[in-house]
Amino acid sequence: MSATIDDMEERWDVAVLLLQLWSSGVFCLIMLPAMFGCSLGVTGVYIKILVKILKWATLRIQRGTARPLPRPNGIIAREGGSMEQEVVAIRRSRTRTIEGRQFAVSDAFYFYKKGLDSIVDDQVTQRFSSEELASWNLLTRTNQNFYYVSQRLTIIWGLGVLVRYGLLFPFRSVWGLGVLVRYGLLFPFRITLAIIGLVWLVVGTALVGFLPNSSAKSWLSELVHVTCWRICARGLSATVRYHNKENRPKKGGICVANHTSPIDVVILASDGCYAMVGQIHGGLMGVLQRSMVKSCPHVWFERSEMKDRLTVLNRLTNHVAAKNKLPILIFPEGTCINNTSVMMFKKGCFEIEGTIYPVAIKYDARFGDAFWNSAKYNMVSYLLRMMTSWAIVVNVWYLPPMRRRDGEDAALFANRVKSVIARRGGLLDLAWDGGLKREKVKESMKQEQQKLYSNMVGAPRHNVCTGRITEDQESSPVEYQNR
Amino acid sequence: MGALQSLPDRHEYIDFAEKTGFSYEQIGILHNRFKQLSHDEDTLQREDFNTVPDLACNPIRSQIIEAFFDRRNFRQNGEGTVDEIGFEEFLVVMSHFRPPKVHVTEEQRQIIRKEKFRFLFNMHDTDNDGTITLEEYRHVVEELLSRSGALGKDTAKGITDAAMLEVASISMGHMEPDEFYEGITFEHFVKLLDEFDIESRMSIRFLNMDTTTICKNSLYLLSTTQP
Repeated sequence: MSATIDDMEERWDVAVLLLQLWSSGVFCLIMLPAMFGCSLGVTGVYIKILVKILKWATLRIQRGTARPLPRPNGIIAREGGSMEQEVVAIRRSRTRTIEGRQFAVSDAFYFYKKGLDSIVDDQVTQRFSSEELASWNLLTRTNQNFYYVSQRLTIIWGLGVLVRYGLLFPFRSVWGLGVLVRYGLLFPFRITLAIIGLVWLVVGTALVGFLPNSSAKSWLSELVHVTCWRICARGLSATVRYHNKENRPKKGGICVANHTSPIDVVILASDGCYAMVGQIHGGLMGVLQRSMVKSCPHVWFERSEMKDRLTVLNRLTNHVAAKNKLPILIFPEGTCINNTSVMMFKKGCFEIEGTIYPVAIKYDARFGDAFWNSAKYNMVSYLLRMMTSWAIVVNVWYLPPMRRRDGEDAALFANRVKSVIARRGGLLDLAWDGGLKREKVKESMKQEQQKLYSNMVGAPRHNVCTGRITEDQESSPVEYQNR
Repeated sequence: MGALQSLPDRHEYIDFAEKTGFSYEQIGILHNRFKQLSHDEDTLQREDFNTVPDLACNPIRSQIIEAFFDRRNFRQNGEGTVDEIGFEEFLVVMSHFRPPKVHVTEEQRQIIRKEKFRFLFNMHDTDNDGTITLEEYRHVVEELLSRSGALGKDTAKGITDAAMLEVASISMGHMEPDEFYEGITFEHFVKLLDEFDIESRMSIRFLNMDTTTICKNSLYLLSTTQP
């Protein structure tokens, strides 16, 4: 009996020792560097190896099959002309001279053709589902088009599953736990300490000590914020490349970026402190939000306030007007888009007087699809998916600040910023509203085509019969009205 | 683990290719599109077409959508409408607009033209009595014209009547004063449009990218971007 108990104790000791080794290794190799913002280069090597494997996999697949591969530029060839040009071209292709007439039976054909073209391929619906890749990144979830090709590929895929679920995932969930501990215990603790210290100092040296105290407090809160986000980012194996750091958003400005997933926030906040804007949620998010706002002023809204545009704008304007507050982070698209394009920016935040700092975020889709399809996955399963991807490789470009020109309409300004972001990130610039993900097209937009055609057809013509006069027309009993 | 399967649907695709004249690759593309529109279900309903914003802005979207649910377009000599269609029916309706083939005999060309004309005729002739009556024609014209202000109601009516008279004159020639024009029959329709280049204008042209080009492109992407 005692022998087995001894055995068990021995095993327990060994297990504890291993755990200690592991956690200290983890602390030294990852947490410390994350706090100081430097990297040991392990992730870099990991990604180089991944790229080599993916290249090999792509070649194998191309050799193995010939199948419809995704086309980023659209499936069908479209006529490039305007409505008027096209309808006239159709009329001209019929030899009877009907150019001068107001309506021809073939006019409807232009619309039939356009309708069928849009059924086969359109620019909008494909933005709300994950991007199709030209190569397979060995993740089952992007495996819509790639099927069994060879045994070797299957084995590599199996190994990949083992590595991802057996090694990387437990590693990363410790980070998640670590973050909770920091926010739930350490952060309020530190802030309480900071507040106590402040109160002491205020009591001690009232007028003179005020300014230095607040800058110390904000420096401390900034350090805490940034460290937390950096550790979160490590928890997702995120490799981020920040370009043009000299254009980083400054205090009193507004930072706008394209939106792909909630991870955008983690990535941006790892490199600078922002004031977040959003709705107060219940539960865990609510706790986080309330604790964050204690250290530096974020802008959280009640659900009822969000409906009232003016309240929202007022609060944001006040925040920006106080020039020493942190820059606001806003995603003007209003919803997650799948990172192949930038959709319409809502003009609300562009009406505020302030400097806009545009930021372009582009995820490298080969390493993991970062798009959050909120119709398909909820937040928890989305985060799980992120933690079991290969890695998240992101390019962040800080663009030079922009201001609204005198007399420029807010909507035009929004479009200007949007095209700058789209160009830098290599994304398609679309005028469609991201809200189409959930809502239908507005009535006014639907009638635009009708109006265009009516203007074309009903436009006054000096004489109706232009062109050659054939025998048909001369003997025709029809009377044309001069309009 | 069940994600890696053997190539699915291959024999079905070959069947469809023979039936509809699309190539194997084009059928794959259209199948993806079908799944996207139907949200991964097996059948498509009228509401699913409303998710395409481009189509929602088209003035005659209802005719276009109805064409997909019209049994006359399923090439089985059926009549009436259905409420939902599967991929095969979707493909058959689409095949009326299939890309023009280069080498066709004159006879085949005439058959293809007649098919396309029939499809367009069916879109106008909603009650399937074989003629496009004045009412049906007016309906199409009214859908195209804006109801709000740009053209007055009388103007719209005038345009419709003039259009109808045009058709009457061209197909019937000279009309007796008391002769009643019933409507455009299919033969008149074809005669009206006999010079119209329907094969190239009413067909969908797929962009052609063969696999070797795609292979080169993706390898280029992999090697140029560094982590």
